[in-house]
Amino acid sequence: MADAPKSAAPATKAPPAWRQRRYLFWLIPLLLLPLPFYLGQYKQYVVNLILVYVPVGVGFNIVVGNLGLLAFSNVAFFGIGAYTSGVLALKLGWPWWATILPAGLMGGLVGCIAGVPALRGVRLFYLAIMTLAFGELLRWVYIRWVPVTGGSFGMSVPKASINVFGWPLPTEGDKFYAFLFLAVLMVVLTDRLLRSRFGRAFMAIKGNEQAAAAMGIPTDRYILLAFAWGGFVVGVGGSMYAALVGHVTPIAFDLAELILEFAVVMVGGLGSLVGSVLGAAIITAAPEFFREWPGFQEMLFGVLIVLVILFLPRGVASLLARVHPIFIDRYYRD
Amino acid sequence: MAALLELTDVTVRFGGLVAVDGVSLTVSAGEICAVIGPNGAGKTTLFNAVSGNVAINGGRILFQGEEIHGLTPHQISTKGVRRTFQNGGLFPHLTALENVLVGLHARVDSDILGLLLGTSAAKRAESAATARARELLDLMDIGHVADHLASDLSGGQQRILEIVRALATEPPLLLLDEPAVGLAPHMRSQLVAIIRRLASERGIGILLIEHAIELVMSVADRVIVLNYGKKVADAPPAQVRADKAVLEAYLGHA
Repeated sequence: MADAPKSAAPATKAPPAWRQRRYLFWLIPLLLLPLPFYLGQYKQYVVNLILVYVPVGVGFNIVVGNLGLLAFSNVAFFGIGAYTSGVLALKLGWPWWATILPAGLMGGLVGCIAGVPALRGVRLFYLAIMTLAFGELLRWVYIRWVPVTGGSFGMSVPKASINVFGWPLPTEGDKFYAFLFLAVLMVVLTDRLLRSRFGRAFMAIKGNEQAAAAMGIPTDRYILLAFAWGGFVVGVGGSMYAALVGHVTPIAFDLAELILEFAVVMVGGLGSLVGSVLGAAIITAAPEFFREWPGFQEMLFGVLIVLVILFLPRGVASLLARVHPIFIDRYYRD
Repeated sequence: MAALLELTDVTVRFGGLVAVDGVSLTVSAGEICAVIGPNGAGKTTLFNAVSGNVAINGGRILFQGEEIHGLTPHQISTKGVRRTFQNGGLFPHLTALENVLVGLHARVDSDILGLLLGTSAAKRAESAATARARELLDLMDIGHVADHLASDLSGGQQRILEIVRALATEPPLLLLDEPAVGLAPHMRSQLVAIIRRLASERGIGILLIEHAIELVMSVADRVIVLNYGKKVADAPPAQVRADKAVLEAYLGHA
């Protein structure tokens, strides 16, 4: 190997076959389609809640996992999405489906605002505490801005408004299809973004900000973009939450909620899109399994989280990655 | 021939400390120019000034006749001044291929809307970039580790990968900050061969910082010696080697 490398380019290798089999992922939503025919209202509600937490986890993971910034403003994006849908439906009489995009856009806007300190070079614990404070500040706005938000008691989303192009969604099973569509859409769009130069820019900033800039990446712009996209996706999740629960209150967006959302990311796998989806399913469904041991429910839930973080620091997604390389996140397209 | 890079009286101060003191130098296309000097001589600060990581307090820096001081690092990089880092600037959690793709960032013309909508133009731009990145890795004989994480590569492979990544956009000027540190002897000679080839075949101007004196003497067309931020010599290696003052003060008794 001591001599100079040959300058003739060998034929470039074909990408591994498993990478071309990513369309197999479409089987997951397809197999879920008949679910409402088998599940009762309550179990369907839990499944729907999982679908709400898919975009919530996906958006959070973009900022903390892919961009790698310790920003805890996720609950602010979630809340603003839910309140945007609630206010538009209750005060302006919009149908729910029309409020989804505004909820996402408001989430993205709030994401940009939450990302501003990061542009000033605020990092680590300082960024963590600032973004935490930002989330609490918004919660204070929900509580105090009574004419719009309904204050501490929150607001009810009119049942009639929960429809898609006038098609009502009276049962959990009906909501399921709308939610499945939105959750899949958010995952697919995020996957496209991450497996492009945009996602690679996020990952580069996470790895070495100075080197990222030296590669010609305008780091400020990409930090803001990650916050905006994360906020958008989580805002859509907030809109879904408003439709699912039918009631938006400030208490739903407190620190306990933030910890739950952070658990989704950590248990699923930091920086892994597959992990965000898995984390949403595990964190939302696990308490239901522990229902058989009343009184121990919260404790068992806590133990589960501790065990996963202890033995799988890269989350449950890292287990799957060992099973088959198709589950490994890669940031390019062949 | 007009100089590719031209520094005139560049001064960088950190508080009361003058890290770079009125340094002038030029690098031409295809020329390999080495900067040596004892620790704290201001070599890396000089590099950081050129790449925009440190603001200069005096003088000017011209690249292809255009002032670049005052621009941000990513703007300077986009203009065609690319660098490597002393302690390894690779993205350890990305694969070798992804590292090169980040290097290609400015050359991938996929827009965000096209990507989200999944237009074929955006997809084509992305997969063309991937093919190009694989090709670049193959050119330097590290194509077989394309899908390995950068942190899993050997020291020599990491160093070569960083050069491949920096050169992905075919910049006219390359800054190498101690490329040979920690490399085994046979890897060093491979590195020397690569550096020579970049300069002679592709006409890339190379400015490098290096402590390994034998490497500097064998590869450089010109050696610049810094001490306490000041330039004390600027001559071909043989001449610098013969300079008694330089030898004793900065190279030790070689």
